[in-house]
Amino acid sequence: MYSYKTGISQIDHATGGFDAGTNVLILAPSLSYAEQFSYAITRPLPGEYAIMLSTNERASEVIDQFKASGADKHFVGVIDAITKSSTPAVSDTERFMFVTNPTDLTGIGIKFSQMVETIFDGTFSGKDNGLFPPPIRFCINSVSTLLMYRKLEVLYQFLHVMTAKLKKIEGLGIYILNSESFDEKTVSLIKQLMTIVIEIKVDGADNYFRIVGMRGVDAGWQKFTVNKGQVVQAS
Amino acid sequence: MISTGMFGIDDMLGGGIPEGSRVLYSLEPGVDGQLFMISTLFAALEKGQACLVIIPHTTVDAFLHDIGQLRGKTVNTLDHRIVFLDSVDRERIQRRSGNNEAAEREWKARIDKLSAENSIDVIFGYFDIIYEDFGLEKGLALLSGNTSSHKYTIIIEHLNFEGDKFLASQPIRKSFDLILAIKSSFRPLPHFNYFTIQYASWSSQLRRSVPFIVKNGNIVPYIPKIVVTGPPESGKSRFVASATELGISIDRSGAEGEMTTVAMDFGWLHWQDFDITLYGTPGQPRFDPMLPVILNNAMGVVLLVDATNRDQLARARHLYQIITRMHVPVIIGANKKDLPGRMSEDEIRREIGVGKGVPVYLISALQKDDVRAVLESLVDSITRFIY
Repeated sequence: MYSYKTGISQIDHATGGFDAGTNVLILAPSLSYAEQFSYAITRPLPGEYAIMLSTNERASEVIDQFKASGADKHFVGVIDAITKSSTPAVSDTERFMFVTNPTDLTGIGIKFSQMVETIFDGTFSGKDNGLFPPPIRFCINSVSTLLMYRKLEVLYQFLHVMTAKLKKIEGLGIYILNSESFDEKTVSLIKQLMTIVIEIKVDGADNYFRIVGMRGVDAGWQKFTVNKGQVVQAS
Repeated sequence: MISTGMFGIDDMLGGGIPEGSRVLYSLEPGVDGQLFMISTLFAALEKGQACLVIIPHTTVDAFLHDIGQLRGKTVNTLDHRIVFLDSVDRERIQRRSGNNEAAEREWKARIDKLSAENSIDVIFGYFDIIYEDFGLEKGLALLSGNTSSHKYTIIIEHLNFEGDKFLASQPIRKSFDLILAIKSSFRPLPHFNYFTIQYASWSSQLRRSVPFIVKNGNIVPYIPKIVVTGPPESGKSRFVASATELGISIDRSGAEGEMTTVAMDFGWLHWQDFDITLYGTPGQPRFDPMLPVILNNAMGVVLLVDATNRDQLARARHLYQIITRMHVPVIIGANKKDLPGRMSEDEIRREIGVGKGVPVYLISALQKDDVRAVLESLVDSITRFIY
């Protein structure tokens, strides 16, 4: 089974990375580097692809973030749920697809399927993928925004479909949820769909993360920063 | 009748959708099925019908741009009789209304006003957000425009997270005259989209499922692989050549100068609005290792036998046993019906071990009509197959 390297030493050393088909919830308060943390583990390594569903940033900004982290932009696709509301005539390309707003779960689902299909058939990057479908990292930034547009039960069903799809295609799913904005019931419902939860907290000027639900991996709080797209663990 | 705007589907429905009907296009999440409702919208507009389009998930400009891209044609709001309620209207309604009841009243008032002022014939509605806001029955009542005495044709698209349970529910069954579900499957092909006519109140046809592809802005019913197999000299290459517009056979000359297929036959045809690809297998047992490769992902199989050659029936029985393990529709074509000494249908059934449920056709592969009759029967079986 393929393992997705994370750049987080305690995960990569203990287990070799996330197993294919893993769905990871990043549960974090505001201003906690959660987004940078998520970009760091979504960044595609050579031979991999990444798809970002962005409800907060335009496609160009997403690509800039990936480029800054050293990723090859030709292997990154963006489903942009921002730009089309102000620029209705923007057209889809292989790597950039647009829905009018985060309400449009039909459109998001279809664009995701289309993008995965072009990755699998080799038209996405124009590179021959070889015999097996290539590994895909998929990130929703953020579930919190989707929850502002759609009811919890609908979003639960949507995420149920997406997490199942990620398992089927042996991808890695990463979902960002603000830990401060939603009640316990909401957070616990979303957690039910996940394999692993990474919690992030801020203490003074420092950021910490801990990994919950991964056998053999230390579940204690670890101080971290993100530098050039890499999670750097401080002692 | 209103056309669905899609090849083949109007025929399956007996000419289209009767005016005043209520239609549900149910989309499985992630399946590229938006073109179903859009095709029907274009058909209605091109017929000069006045349409109200309810798009609570998007804006008018974005919607017009998207459907133009999908269909490869543009809708001009000046040339066509079309009005909208969009996401901007939804936001206004939500802002103005203090509660759900007030919002429901506001939606109803707007739909009625637009319908009356524009002499609307067809209402197109994207349901899942309305469903979320008002629930199933209130939401359906809203989009049905049922406050007025005029009976509109209603076409609804719904992102269906609840699957067949939702489609089988009483309110849905009661509310629609046509339910068409658009889904995807991983068998027998690795990944394909198909639609199923779950229910049509004006047609007694059984539920039908049809694979489709999107080609040049159209939904095209599609059968990517029908395999023609059978014992040597049963007429497979002739069958493929008679059936298709473009046929290739990889043959070599046998010991006595006769031609025999050594790799496969291949042919393509567009027929009855379907794109169909035919593959013919070699018949000699020494090519049996190739059979699983050619049969893999087939959606239906024609087993061809020489109706005048009893010696081949043991081989045909062996091939039939291989095919039945695939669980796909199969038709028996008993070829060379016009030659002396042909066996009866009962004899062929008995010798191959074919039950009454599998059709046996006595044909001549030289006759295009006979070949087409076999294909017609197989396509019919494929479209009735439950994936």
